[in-house]
Amino acid sequence: MDPTTAMYVAQGIHGLAYGMVLFLVASGLTMIFGMMGILNLAHASFFMLSAYFCYQVLAWTGNFWLALLAAPVAAAFFGIICERFLLRRVHVFGHIGELILTVGISLIILDGVKAFWGTESLPVKVPQVLHGLVTIAGLEYPIYRLFIIALALVVLGIMAILLYKTRLGMIVRGAVSDADMVSALGINTPLVFMFVFGTGTWLAGIAGVAIAPILTVFPGLADQIGMDAFVVVVTGGLGSLGGAFIVSIIFGLLNSYGIQFVSQLAPVLMFAFMAIVLALKPTGLFGEREA
Amino acid sequence: MNRIFRWILWIAGIIILLLYPWLFGIYDTNVFVLFAIFALFAVSFNLLLGFTGLLSFGHAMFFGVGGYGTAIALTRIEGLALLPAVGIGVLAAILLALILCPLLVRVSGTAFAMLTLAFGQLLYVLALKLRDLTGGEDGVGGFPIPPFTIPGVVSIDMTDPLKFYYFAMAVIILSIWVLWFFTKTPLGSVMVGIRDNANRVDYLGFKVPQTKAVILVFSGAFAGVAGSIYAIFQNLISADDAFHVMNSFAPVLMTMIGGVASFFGPIWGSAIFAIIDEVTTRYTERVELVIGVILILVILFAPMGFVGFYRIVKEKWSSRRSSKATMEVSS
Repeated sequence: MDPTTAMYVAQGIHGLAYGMVLFLVASGLTMIFGMMGILNLAHASFFMLSAYFCYQVLAWTGNFWLALLAAPVAAAFFGIICERFLLRRVHVFGHIGELILTVGISLIILDGVKAFWGTESLPVKVPQVLHGLVTIAGLEYPIYRLFIIALALVVLGIMAILLYKTRLGMIVRGAVSDADMVSALGINTPLVFMFVFGTGTWLAGIAGVAIAPILTVFPGLADQIGMDAFVVVVTGGLGSLGGAFIVSIIFGLLNSYGIQFVSQLAPVLMFAFMAIVLALKPTGLFGEREA
Repeated sequence: MNRIFRWILWIAGIIILLLYPWLFGIYDTNVFVLFAIFALFAVSFNLLLGFTGLLSFGHAMFFGVGGYGTAIALTRIEGLALLPAVGIGVLAAILLALILCPLLVRVSGTAFAMLTLAFGQLLYVLALKLRDLTGGEDGVGGFPIPPFTIPGVVSIDMTDPLKFYYFAMAVIILSIWVLWFFTKTPLGSVMVGIRDNANRVDYLGFKVPQTKAVILVFSGAFAGVAGSIYAIFQNLISADDAFHVMNSFAPVLMTMIGGVASFFGPIWGSAIFAIIDEVTTRYTERVELVIGVILILVILFAPMGFVGFYRIVKEKWSSRRSSKATMEVSS
């Protein structure tokens, strides 16, 4: 195969991998933002926190797989504590109360990681298995990017089964459309929402571990992904997992091909896309309601 | 009685403002100017959030365009006077608001917040990338600061921080007064009507999108004034100062801390932020931690902000006094 096509395909894989990471963060955000109506600006901070946990677990044990399991769970645990003891109490004050609270939480997490781990970039090594390149049909792909894509697809599959094929998923979807009714049927809705929040943070945590070896771990990590994930959720439509998935992939590809062709304006493309979508359809591509 | 008391308060306030540089020295004067600039920025923001019910996540774009407008004008045009330079900054902000309003007035709620966020980020990236015009990451700085002149009457050197203090305060207080006056006009009432029930305002025959556009231009113009004064004050404007997303969140937080339901709330919020910033940087490096904790405490215990907290305390105090009075009468 000629080198130009190879380059296009490589860029495509990079874009897809970034899109998948974006989707993992955005899917958690869209669940919390769209379903519970919580404007969670601290979401990306939990993502960053998980990346730091991953670094710490690696420093202690040297086992990436253990980090992949433990770090997101630890981040989700923090998220659940914030939901139970802080967010739930300000929910009555509406969006702006949650906004202030989550900005507060994100500032504390930001300063916390600076205090514990310092401000420099910390490298994270991937295990030997995921190193190097694999050759498929005459083209070489970096294994780790393929691993990210596969990981995201597996997580997406589990989420879809959980949400659409189980009793728990039915309750969650019910609580989202009419929390009072579900509560009247004798189901503990605050517990359901706590579960949703925990799952959302867990998804962000997985993305944090997945991105750590590529970007390294540093305090600016949250800003970089957080804004992108927010844009994905809004463009895809609040609460729409499918919308988040499609827009994540579009943004990932826009990002990688944008850098290649119009490197000066690559960061603008995403926001321009969002502006066009929202100007034409204020609820986002697949959204049905305005929050 | 109350009226006289209020007049005394106003006069005392003006005297303190006039004597401030002599009372506290030049360092605190500069801190005060910065506070006043952000107070104007937050008040202009609150015109959208508190009065019209539009949450903007990109208000920094007007601030930034105002600052860049003035800075670039002073760099490129030789011998430009001070007030026209500020005017160019404000015009740039108005122009931006006019360009954006056809898109922005159609939406409200989260979509409005996100669209403003998107345009704010767009401008941030543009300010970083259009190096010929904006100087990229370094920003536009070191431009000459012209004296404040009224031809044939006075010419006041603006590089002296003391004199600049009076100029900045005059412009900012005048702007805040105009904004306050605006909320008292009939249009100001329509604005509150849009916040509470846009449909009803529409049925009453007011044009909701056009009104929103006017408010947006007005609010953007005064954010532009704040940005323009900021650029002259620092003699520098850079993309991070102007368009960074934290600069868009600053007025949101100030307004919430001060009290969203009040015209003067954002000023209190800005003052509280300035004080926190000054005090914490003296004792610790962990400014963000302190601000984070304060934000959480405020939203948990005083969700209506400082002004709301003050009103509750005042109400409790006066109701206790009046109940005491009635008890005395009945006994």
